[in-house]
Order: sequence, then C-alpha cells, then structure tokens
Amino acid sequence: MKGPEEFSCRVIEQDALAPDYYLLKLEAPELARNSSPGQFAMLRCSEGYDPFLRRPLAIHQVDRNKGQVLFLYQVRGKGTKWLSMRCQHDKLSLLGPLGRGFSFSAAGGRAMIVGAGVGVAPLLFLASELRAQGWDLVILMGARNKSGILRPDAFRECGDLIIATEDGSCGEQGTILDLLSRELAKSSFDKLFACGPLSVLKGVQTMSREKGIAAELSLDERMACGVGACVGCVCQGHDGSYLRVCKEGPVFSAEEVVLGE
Amino acid sequence: MSDLTVNLAGIKMKNPVMSASGTFGSGVEYASVFDVSKMGALVTKGLTKEPKAGNKSPRICETPAGLLNAVGLQNPGVEVFIRDYLPEMLEFGVPVIANIAGSTGDEFVYLAERLTQTGVAGLEVNISCPNVKTGGMALGTVPEVAAEVVKAVVQATDLPVIVKLTPNVTDIKELAQAVAAAGADAISLINTLVGMVIDVDKRKPFLGNCIGGLSGPAIRPVGVRAVWEVSQLVDLPVIGMGGITTGRDALEYIMAGASAVAVGSAFFYDPLAAVKIIDELDQYCTDHGVEKLQDLVGAAWKEK
Ligand SMILES: Cc1cc2nc3c(=O)[nH]c(=O)nc-3n(C[C@H](O)[C@H](O)[C@H](O)COP(=O)(O)OP(=O)(O)OC[C@H]3O[C@@H](n4cnc5c(N)ncnc54)[C@H](O)[C@@H]3O)c2cc1C
Ligand SMILES: Cc1cc2nc3c(=O)[nH]c(=O)nc-3n(C[C@H](O)[C@H](O)[C@H](O)COP(=O)(O)O)c2cc1C
Ligand code: FES
Repeated sequence: MKGPEEFSCRVIEQDALAPDYYLLKLEAPELARNSSPGQFAMLRCSEGYDPFLRRPLAIHQVDRNKGQVLFLYQVRGKGTKWLSMRCQHDKLSLLGPLGRGFSFSAAGGRAMIVGAGVGVAPLLFLASELRAQGWDLVILMGARNKSGILRPDAFRECGDLIIATEDGSCGEQGTILDLLSRELAKSSFDKLFACGPLSVLKGVQTMSREKGIAAELSLDERMACGVGACVGCVCQGHDGSYLRVCKEGPVFSAEEVVLGE
Repeated sequence: MSDLTVNLAGIKMKNPVMSASGTFGSGVEYASVFDVSKMGALVTKGLTKEPKAGNKSPRICETPAGLLNAVGLQNPGVEVFIRDYLPEMLEFGVPVIANIAGSTGDEFVYLAERLTQTGVAGLEVNISCPNVKTGGMALGTVPEVAAEVVKAVVQATDLPVIVKLTPNVTDIKELAQAVAAAGADAISLINTLVGMVIDVDKRKPFLGNCIGGLSGPAIRPVGVRAVWEVSQLVDLPVIGMGGITTGRDALEYIMAGASAVAVGSAFFYDPLAAVKIIDELDQYCTDHGVEKLQDLVGAAWKEK
C-alpha cells in the first residue's frame, strides 16, 4: 500500500445535497488510484491559521478513470463552513490517503452496511467495492429526517436499501438500530460494516456480539496530524491500551475497541 | 545554495531545522509525504523507562491559531524505542536526538545511560512537560531542582545534553542560568504554555486531562521573547521553537538568538512546512547576500 502524500487539488464541482450537506468533487488522480474504502484525507479548511488544524473527511467515492475523488460532508462549524464555500477551479490542500480502511474477503458473502446520518460518507465507496467483488448487500440508512438521507440512489445501485427516519419523513419511522435488530432477526449475514454516531456504533457492536457476526466500525476522533505522529487521536483498545484512530483506524473490528461515553 | 550548516554543541546538522518532540512520530509517518532526510535533525517523542499509556481522550483541542494537547507522554518505553523505532529513525541519515522525560532524577539518569552508545546524537532533557503528574514540568520550575537533574544527566552520558525549558515560570532566565551552570550543552525554548478550554455545552473541561499545553502560531511571540532573553544571558546555543510555520518565523527565532529551530504544530497545518522553511531560509540568504545563515544568529540582540 502506498503511503499518504500532500496534494493540491482542483475543485471540479460542489453541490448542496440538502441544507448543510455538501458533495465535493476534486480532481485527484493519485488519491483516486491509491485509496481504499474507509480511508480518509486531511483537508486544510482555511487560508490562514483559523482554523489551524486540517479536517478529516472520509473518501466517499472515487472515479479512477476520470481521476476524481468525492467527499460528502455536513457543515458543523468553521472548517466545514469554509469548505462549503469553495467553488469550481479553487485549489484545496489535502493529505491522503490516510488510515486503515475496511477489510473484506474477495470471496464475497452477504454483508449488512449501517450508515447513520453523515456516517454514510465512507460507506458508498465500500458498498461499490463490495458489490464489485460479488458481495450481496443490505444497506440500512438512518437519519433524523428526510434531509439527512444522503445519496439514496447511489446506494441503491449497490444493494437492497432500507431507510428509516426518526420522524418518518422518509422510509420507515424509527431508529436505525430498530431496523438493524429486525433485519438481523430475519436473515443471516457474514459481516457488518458501520459508521455513524457513537450510540449507533455501540448498538452495532452489541448486536454483532450477540449474533456472533464480525463487525467493522469506523470511528470519529479529533485529529491533529492524521498520520500517527502526534498520538492525539486515540480510542481505547480492549486490552486497555490506546489506539490511534488515524493510524490503527479509523476502521476497527468491533472486538478491538472499547467505546466510551 | 547558501551555507545553512550548524554545529550545535557537537551535533553537526546540514541546516538548522529540526522536528519538535512529540509532533513528528519517528519520522516514518511522514516518509511518503516529503524527503525526511532533508531535515537538520529529528527529535523523538518524550521517552520514559517503562511504557506509558498516556491520558484519556480527548487529547487535542483546537484554539485560535494553535492547539492544546494533553497526550501525557504516551510512548512505548525506552527499550522498545531502541529496538523497534530508533533503527528506522537512524535510516534517514540525519542526527536523532532523544527527548527523555523521567519522573525522577534517577529515571533521567537511567534513560541517559541507556541511550548512550545507541546511535542517538544527543539528549533533550524534557523537564517541561505540562501533561504528567510527576516529573515533567515539576522538575523544571525550580532552578535548584532543575540543576540537580541536569548535573546527574551530564555525568551519566558523554552525549551532548540539551535542556528543554518550560515558559510557565516567573523567570526563565534564572532557570537557564541554573541549567547552564549545571553543565548543559544547549537549551531548547520553549515547551508548551499551560492552558485550558471549557466545553460550555457539557459544562466541563474539554480535554480528558482538563489542562493541556498550548502550541502553534499563537505562542510564537512568547517563544521569541524567551530565546531573545536567554541567548543574550547564557553562553550556550539555543534551539528555538513555538509556532514556527514559515521561513520568516524561523528567522525571527534565529535573529532572537537561536542557533537552530524546531518545527512542531506546523506539520499539522502543512505537512510540508519543514522543507518549505529550509527553502525559505536559503532564499532569504540568497536575496540578502548572507553567506552563512549562522551569521544571523542574534542579529536582533540589544547591543547590535
Ligand atoms: C476519520 C474521520 C472521517 C470523517 N469523515 C467525515 C465525512 O466524510 N463527512 C463529514 O461530514 N464529517 C466527517 N468527519 C467529521 C468531521 O471531520 C468534522 O465534522 C469536522 O472536523 C468539523 O469541523 P468544523 O470546523 O466544521 O467544526 P468545528 O468548529 O471543529 O466543530 C463544530 C461542532 O462539531 C463538533 N465536532 C467537531 N469535530 C468533531 C469530531 N471529530 N467528532 C465529534 N464532534 C466533532 C464540535 O464539538 C462542535 O460542536 C470525519 C471525522 C473523522 C475522524
Ligand atoms: C501533540 C504534541 C506533543 C508534544 N510532545 C512533546 C514531548 O513528548 N516532549 C517535549 O519535550 N515536547 C513535546 N511537545 C512540545 C513541542 O515539542 C514544542 O515544544 C511545542 O509544541 C512548541 O512548538 P510548536 O508551536 O512548533 O508546536 C509536544 C507538542 C505537541 C503539539
Ligand atoms: S491525529 Fe496525530 S496520531 Fe492521530
């Protein structure tokens, strides 16, 4: 696997998918070629020192033929706000690909993908690679309401998509964990993949344990270097040691980590 | 190409730009990002005798033009460092300086002895870490205590001994004089400034450790001041650090009296910062007809 590199990438286009949710397309041929699902990049989100730190964003989708990389993100604060204002032809500084992504056997199987809110970001790349390797996929997407259901059509191309919103404005009414426990009771799976808020990851971790299904979780932690150099982004390993989310993760197997508050 | 070389207390470097302890891993993390062998020297993360788990999360909090960190000296311990990490660091072919962070004088002596004859080019005695309960800054705020630690380390090794001081004191000059008298070969200035951020939604301190060390551009004037005062008072080479992000930042430190500089938080902002700084120093010398960069050391001192 090739190590991360620093790139200056041109913005090809940027679209608002819903208020505060953006899809950013960059010209980044090497990143497109060298990334694997679950990896991320650190994007500089300022012209000066405010904000000072780069922001981690998952590789959402790649088009290796066109040399393009897409990011899907939610505006949370200063950094993502700045990012959302970049236009076609602007240049962005970015370090990637970073971290350890999802792992799956090339032999195929049946997998459940669980994406809550903007946690679906790394899962489209995963779903399309799994699909290409012959996996059967059930994809669960959950959000508070309809505007948080991101890129359903793209996901639908990769497998069976089931949507739940807490207010029932799209798909079924309920939480993604309700959906998950129902679907796990209905049929069997070889592997679970999940990304989303901590409460969802904890739920997936618990259910995977109960059902004895291997699960991989993509974690979120504040980062500074993104390459494993500063030991600033740790989560707790099952043996009590600290693991760097940017290096040993961001994807961990569910047995590997203890999820905090 | 101008002459950027520096001989820092016997450590020969091709340019004065080093990595700051704790921000650069063992260098291999950046090996695919830029040519690490271009650096003047590499400094390790703070090392302790036994492995150290470090503080609980969150360890990092962004602040205006900088960040707070409370890593708590997580490191694999000196033995594992020597076995697993040092060889790959030495591969870069640039001097490697080991940052040692004992919690007692005896631990410092142990670390100094253990690291002598391993290929490291020097020791940086970290009596300035704000993120540990024992040792660290506690050993670096009282001149007599600091002098005792330094004296013991100097006796335990024939490597150049660099002492890294904390700015979290009333009078940094007094400390610098004490460690100089105790036999230090060079002084590093500055470690992070103690700080804190409160999460107003949760109504509690943001960092797992509550307090942390402030670094980045926000602290640069504090570092420059410390270097300017200490370098004029003490007859030892000084390594300047704190918020260096560009060549001009590095020049500020050099003109304040630093013979070498270290780049830390800037790697987070721009992973190419160190190589850009080296190029900018060279360019400045060319543009201003400076033959030897070392001629600029202390250019902004009082009597000049
Ligand atoms: C490996 C990784 C991949 C990521 N991928 C994506 C992605 O593809 N799409 C996406 O939208 N987001 C992603 N994130 C989260 C994203 O990095 C943060 O939302 C972003 O850094 C916020 O920056 P900001 O300047 O806009 O907000 P800030 O001003 O920094 O913060 C705004 C608010 O968000 C909270 N916040 C900020 N950072 C985090 C964090 N890391 N974890 C929890 N809360 C936080 C703050 O507490 C604050 O309330 C990812 C995070 C990681 C670690
Ligand atoms: C994440 C992080 C970890 C650090 N760890 C150490 C350490 O282990 N030992 C040490 O002496 N200084 C440590 N420092 C302090 C730096 O070496 C440096 O003195 C300080 O950050 C100021 O420089 P900067 O503003 O360029 O980062 C650390 C700083 C940061 C940001
Ligand atoms: S962000 Fe520096 S080690 Fe992960």
